[in-house]
Amino acid sequence: MRPGIDLRYCKGCNICVYMCPKQCFSNGADLSVQGYFPAIVTAPEKCFNYGRTEKLICELCVLSCPDQAITWEPEPEEEEEKDADQTG
Amino acid sequence: MELFDFYDQDRWPHVFCPGCGNGTVMNCFFRAFNEMGWKLDNTVFVSGIGCSSRIPLYINSDAIHTTHGRAIAVATGLKLSRPELDVVVFTGDGDLGAIGGNHFINGCRRNVDLDVICINNNIYGMTGGQASVTTPHDYISTTTPFGSKEYPFDLAELAVAAGANYVARWTTRHVHELTKSIKRSLEKKGFNFVEVVSQCPTNFGRRNKMADPSALLDWFKESSVRRDKVRAAAIDHVDLNLAGQITTGEFVCRDRECYHEKKGGGAHRDGH
Repeated sequence: MRPGIDLRYCKGCNICVYMCPKQCFSNGADLSVQGYFPAIVTAPEKCFNYGRTEKLICELCVLSCPDQAITWEPEPEEEEEKDADQTG
Repeated sequence: MELFDFYDQDRWPHVFCPGCGNGTVMNCFFRAFNEMGWKLDNTVFVSGIGCSSRIPLYINSDAIHTTHGRAIAVATGLKLSRPELDVVVFTGDGDLGAIGGNHFINGCRRNVDLDVICINNNIYGMTGGQASVTTPHDYISTTTPFGSKEYPFDLAELAVAAGANYVARWTTRHVHELTKSIKRSLEKKGFNFVEVVSQCPTNFGRRNKMADPSALLDWFKESSVRRDKVRAAAIDHVDLNLAGQITTGEFVCRDRECYHEKKGGGAHRDGH
C-alpha cells in the first residue's frame, strides 16, 4: 500500500512532511479548491508499507494527520509490471 | 472498520485550524476504540466548551455538549443512572483544569467508571489565546504579553494525587504510545485519565515563535522526558513545562474500587 492524500480534506499543515521517517511527502505548491496548499506524495516507493497489503507498520502519517486526509491506496505500479511482462 | 466509519462525514472537513492536534487525538482514540471492539451504539461522548470539546460533534454517536467545565459532573450522573453505557469525556485544559477543576478532583476521588481524554494545548485557543492554567512559565499569550509569570498546573500529577485509577500523559508527537495508553485506559475500570499535550499553532505557536505545527511537534520531541527514565536517573521530579520539560509516560495504574460497584454499608455500621 502507498499513502495517498485526499485533496478535499488536506489543510496543508505539512505535519506528514515532518513526521514521515522516510521522507515520502514534500510541501505542496499548488492551491487546492479549499484554499490551502496540500502536501504531495513525492516518493511513495520509500514507504515502509510499499508492497505490503496487510499488517501495516509505522502509520505515523495516518495517525498524526489532523484532518484525516491520508489513506492507504493500492500501488498502481503492479499493472504496469504485468504489462511489461506481457510485452517482454 | 476504517477510521472514517466512526466519523460523521457530512460535517467534514472539520473546523479545527490547519495543524491543530485535536484531529490526531481523534485518530489515536478511534484506533484504540476499534481495537477494543467497542460499539458506537453503546458509547456516549460528553464534552464541555472549547476547541477539543467540539470533537463529539464529529462522531457518529450520541453526545452531550454541556456547559463550561461541567463535563465530568454530567458524565458522572449519566454513568450512575445508566451503568451499562460506556462514557467517554473529551475535554480541554481550560475546561478541565480551570473552570471544572473541582469537578475533576472530585471525579478522581469518587472513581466513577469514566474515560477522560484531556487535550492540553497550553492556551485558551477558542476565545483568542488567553493564558490558561497550563500555559508554561515565561510563554507569551494575549493576556500575558511579557510572558506568563505563573507556573502551570500539572494535571496528571493532580489526578494521581486525587486518586484516579489510570493516569498517563503523552504528546501528539507520540501517536503510537498515545494509542496504547488510550487502549489501556479503555480496558480498565474506574476513572481513567489520559492527558495529551497538543499543539495550537494559531494561538500558542504563532506568539511563541513556533508558528509552524512541525516546530511545535519538534518542541514536544525535544522537551519530552519519559517518566520511567526520570525514575531510573533518580531525579526526584520533573514538572510539566517548569524546566522546559514535559514528563510523559504512565503515571499510575491501580485497581481502586469503582463508585457504583461499592458494597452497601459503612465501615463503622456494625460497631455503632
